[in-house]
Amino acid sequence: MDEMTLSVSTAAVRADGLSRRYGATRALEEVDLTLERGITGLLGPNGAGKTTLLSILATVNEPDAGRVSVFGLDPRDAAERVEIRRRLGYLPQELGYHRHFTVAGFLDYVAILKEITSRRRRAEEVARVLAAIGLERRARTRVRALSGGMRQRLGIAQALLGQPELLILDEPTAGLDPEQRLRFRELLSDLPGDPVIVLSTHQADDIAAICPHVVVLLQGQVHFAGTPAELAASAAGRVWAAGERDARAHLSWRGGDNRWRHIGDHPPAGAELVTPTVEDGYLLLSHAAGVQ
Amino acid sequence: MTATGAGPALPDTDPADPVGNRAPADLTAQSRAPRLRTVLALARVEASLQARSLVVVAGLLAGGAVVWLRIGRTEPLWWNVGWRIGTGQLVLGMTVLIAAQLAAGRARRNAMADLYTSFPATAGTRTLAHLASLAGAAPVSLLLIGAAAVVVQLRGAIGAPSIAVLAGGLLLVIAAGAAGVAIGARFPHPLAGVLGALVLLLSSGQSHLPAGGVIWLFPWESFSDQLAGLPGPLAGYPPAGAHAVELAGLAVLAGIVALAVTASRARARGGLAAAGIVAMAVICFAGALQLSPIRTADLNHLVSEVADPASAQRCTTASQVRYCLYPGFGRDLSSLQAPVSGVLAYLPARATQPLTVRQVVGLGLSLPDSTLTHGHPNREVSQWDAQVQGAPGNANGAPASAIYLPVGNWPAAGGQLADAHFDLALATAEWAVHLPGTSVGVSTTGANWQCVPYDQAREAIAIWLAILATHPPAGELRNGLGTGFSGALVRDTLVRTWTYPGWGWGYVTPPGGGPQNTAAGYLLANAMTSLPEQEVSHVLAGAWGKWLNWRTTDAQLAAALGIRMPSIVVTLPSGKTIAPPSIPGNGPQSPLCTT
Repeated sequence: MDEMTLSVSTAAVRADGLSRRYGATRALEEVDLTLERGITGLLGPNGAGKTTLLSILATVNEPDAGRVSVFGLDPRDAAERVEIRRRLGYLPQELGYHRHFTVAGFLDYVAILKEITSRRRRAEEVARVLAAIGLERRARTRVRALSGGMRQRLGIAQALLGQPELLILDEPTAGLDPEQRLRFRELLSDLPGDPVIVLSTHQADDIAAICPHVVVLLQGQVHFAGTPAELAASAAGRVWAAGERDARAHLSWRGGDNRWRHIGDHPPAGAELVTPTVEDGYLLLSHAAGVQ
Repeated sequence: MTATGAGPALPDTDPADPVGNRAPADLTAQSRAPRLRTVLALARVEASLQARSLVVVAGLLAGGAVVWLRIGRTEPLWWNVGWRIGTGQLVLGMTVLIAAQLAAGRARRNAMADLYTSFPATAGTRTLAHLASLAGAAPVSLLLIGAAAVVVQLRGAIGAPSIAVLAGGLLLVIAAGAAGVAIGARFPHPLAGVLGALVLLLSSGQSHLPAGGVIWLFPWESFSDQLAGLPGPLAGYPPAGAHAVELAGLAVLAGIVALAVTASRARARGGLAAAGIVAMAVICFAGALQLSPIRTADLNHLVSEVADPASAQRCTTASQVRYCLYPGFGRDLSSLQAPVSGVLAYLPARATQPLTVRQVVGLGLSLPDSTLTHGHPNREVSQWDAQVQGAPGNANGAPASAIYLPVGNWPAAGGQLADAHFDLALATAEWAVHLPGTSVGVSTTGANWQCVPYDQAREAIAIWLAILATHPPAGELRNGLGTGFSGALVRDTLVRTWTYPGWGWGYVTPPGGGPQNTAAGYLLANAMTSLPEQEVSHVLAGAWGKWLNWRTTDAQLAAALGIRMPSIVVTLPSGKTIAPPSIPGNGPQSPLCTT
């Protein structure tokens, strides 16, 4: 016990040298990561290993190598794994639903699986998360009758049950319309208890809007960990706006103002340097890593 | 690399442990109490879902229908009905199996396996909850038992229900549900449950099973017994207690398999393996009990009851008729007396011979039967068989002074009871007019060959008496004429026959063992009912001996009553209509009733 106490770090979640392969495919390789309380955005293209990393943190998958510590608990130990799960809210990337359940019935069922065994407390929790995601009027609706966006909100709601200290959300904004995305940002920002939140997304603007921390995962490796401002700053001096396309640019696209935005090492002719965004920083990192 | 920026500490956490780290030493103790509560809470929800499942509700209705079909026509003998209720439980069990498989495989089937894995409730906890939720099927099963029991009691149950037999039905449903959980834990596809249910159904038939007591190793087997014809329960036939123990063992074994499929810890698997061995031992023990022969003394007693009913029956005399019934069948007495007394009341003259109405087993017991006599020496079985063959019910009809009623065939209520009343009334009336109740020969096919009271006034009188005594619907009587050709050759004459209501159901044995009634006899009797009863009685009483003579014709009776002789038309298979007796026929001749 003393040994355990001594090994406790101040990081809420810690991953050391995580590696995971699926056959010949390398999903994660030597990933080191520490997560503190607050929201951490996980950025990366498809196949970067985001879902694998999140599933390992959620104790759903085990790494081939390396170790994870969540609140000082080791998921390799069965009892500690259960304890981690008691403090966990998880939204997998691809979530099916019990379509014949009602919305409230589904949440009540999940609440039991989260060991909320008191009926009254479950009812309160279900009401709380339904209100939080704006589905309180749909409590008696069958899940099969919900739209895709509503189901995604229901998925978020189940993750929030029990006020988890570690919230792992794999692409939570997929399928949400702009207004729902804004509500989602508001929701995460207002969560009580200052939980550790990790969310993966393709939406760099979501990261910029709500994440104090961002981790960029490319080809199974962490290529950046820092603040969104630092990620944006990593592209400083390499983003330009010009009237014409420049073939030398790593990436270029025409924006809504009809001007070309270039990311590269050389300024196009007549271009003006612009302030980089999180997306610019991410794209530049991806390009540097050779991600197509 | 490190994501930086720690937030504030949780309000509930130790200041020395700002991220809420918890030492693991006390986690195991903490996890047990929530696990039990989680199992119970989850089981409650799953039980509610199961009890409301359309599949289970359909199973309840189908099971009820099956029970009704299997007991609706038979006499409500508890030693038989209890097992027929079990057949309904088999149907319910099939649907509970499907529902349990669907529930246990729900998470994987709905692509929620990853999410479920992230919950503190482990797969083992969920499986345990699914198994516990089978308690939800128990009320459904008990409802089926209760409803069937009420129906049986309302129909005048004979005997007492066996708790072991009825519990066996409940255990069958639970065992099927546990099998469903085991299947669902491994195979989430919905067809897996349907296949499991089909296997259960197919295994309930007997065609695939070897003969003998081995059949009882399938406690859901339901078609091989002769319970409906027994005069009382026979200990160990079928072995109900061992059945219940085996089913309980199977339920536990299926539960263990389900838990083993989801158990991840070696220690848990070891415990489950040990429990599985115990369950297997219990099943084997129950199997051995089921294969043990029925006690010789019990079989001797049964054969004695069958071969010599008088040794076991209690007789009651009412209106000069003796009613001899096996113990426990006393409630049939009033139902039997009504048609018999009715006929005797309308009889124009006092009967010259005594009458006994007696229950017999006869054809209700078939020997040798390896499910009944397995484990006994062939010589002993042959002796029993010989005794049963000589039983009154197996003799060629009944003696002139007796009417035999097969055990288990007397209906409790409804249209069948009315038919049975008419059959008994007709048998009584035929006894009263001296028509033979005995078959007079055996055809080349082995069937009893009945005599035909062709053109005999006493037949019409008997039918008239039976109609007066029981008032059957005229339409039913008329239906006995049939729509096509139905007749017999008597002395080269084609005689159109008449089938009375309930003929062939064996309310009186042997079925149709009395005379083969003619359409002419019925039509004349029907015409007689249009006359005042006193007027007919007066005519009959005036020359009762003459009317009992087999040579007295229908025409003479019609003339005496002053009515026209109804005309008989026979439709040949070719469609040609003829008026007998003008056409002599070819082929086997039926004997004329001449006694």
